[in-house]
Amino acid sequence: MTSALRKPAPGTHPNLLHPAYASTVARAPTQSLLALPQGPGELSGPRFDASVLYKSHDDLTRQCAGEPLGERIILSGRVLDDNGDPMPNTLLEVWQCNSAGRYHHHRDQHDAPLDPNFTGNGRVLTDAEGRYTITTIKPGAYPWRNHPNAWRPAHIHFSLFGTSMLQRLITQMYFPGDPLLGYDPIFNSVPSEKARERSIARFDWNLTKPEWALGYEFNFVLRGSEATPAN
Amino acid sequence: MSEINTPSQTVGPFFHYGLKWEPGEHLFPDAKTPGRRIVLTGTITDGQGAPVPDAFLELWQPDGSGRFGAPVPGSCAGWGRVFTDNDGRYTANTVLPGALGKQAPHILVVLFARGLLRQLITRVYFDGEAANAGDAVLASTGARAATLLARPEGAERYV
Ligand SMILES: [Fe+2]
Repeated sequence: MTSALRKPAPGTHPNLLHPAYASTVARAPTQSLLALPQGPGELSGPRFDASVLYKSHDDLTRQCAGEPLGERIILSGRVLDDNGDPMPNTLLEVWQCNSAGRYHHHRDQHDAPLDPNFTGNGRVLTDAEGRYTITTIKPGAYPWRNHPNAWRPAHIHFSLFGTSMLQRLITQMYFPGDPLLGYDPIFNSVPSEKARERSIARFDWNLTKPEWALGYEFNFVLRGSEATPAN
Repeated sequence: MSEINTPSQTVGPFFHYGLKWEPGEHLFPDAKTPGRRIVLTGTITDGQGAPVPDAFLELWQPDGSGRFGAPVPGSCAGWGRVFTDNDGRYTANTVLPGALGKQAPHILVVLFARGLLRQLITRVYFDGEAANAGDAVLASTGARAATLLARPEGAERYV
């Protein structure tokens, strides 16, 4: 169990009711939220180890018989808490659509081809310094029926555990310079511009491998302990 | 000076294959876990009362003796993940959690869904538990406390 966690700065997380994202209108709670204390259940959580990883869990280009179509990318970064301390041994789950913008999911009706060599899910544990690396292909943009001519910017979905249930985070990572970002109600549901910038990866020459793949850096910041660490 | 947190975003509609987990609906696969075996089941509805077929819950609780999984990697006993079906229903297999000090037995529940831009966190308590009367959270929620109670249905099912 960790000590009490700091409240994120105002504007960091979206409001539950964000009418530009139409589904929130029915699904946002109709009653006000009540605060729960940070008890022993809230401040603890499951801890996963390598037994939950599977073959090619961190390389989404090698999970099928052949190589997927698309632009190969290496995505790497660290998971930190908001005190700047690394979070080792924390589980990340990853999922995304293929390079044509289609998910390997029975409910995805987008008229774009499935790629027989791409499923689009992975898992990775951070190392002792909180670092993770995955290899994948750049996902495509895809249309959705939120409003006329609505398109999601290219994004990768991430789920992170941290060490307690109150650090649990599900988010989406975007790519720098994507012209669709300005039009996307989900990306723009985050009130703070600085927080929105947090969800955009940074192109990184140092991660780029010659003749192989472009590199992007993306760091995650989870809630940290309120007590200022002595240093 | 603290860093800006990574913002939450909706889990979207197509999470099932990315988040599949076995045995997600069994919180304590070890048959020797202390506690009375129960099935917790229910329906997720939206703010207008319609069932939500594309949601999932994560549950976290101590075993029947009030002990949480040890805080070391590899101990995820007491954690589970269950997806709603086409009618918005979920089912989890677990044990009745032990009390935590003055807190009545409860399960921490985190809800994710398409259309939810961030998760919702709540607790599930158990109707008929004597310790409910002294629980500070149930007391503070007033008339809405009843929405936190799972009701027994037969010997081992709670709804
Ligand atoms: Fe998506």
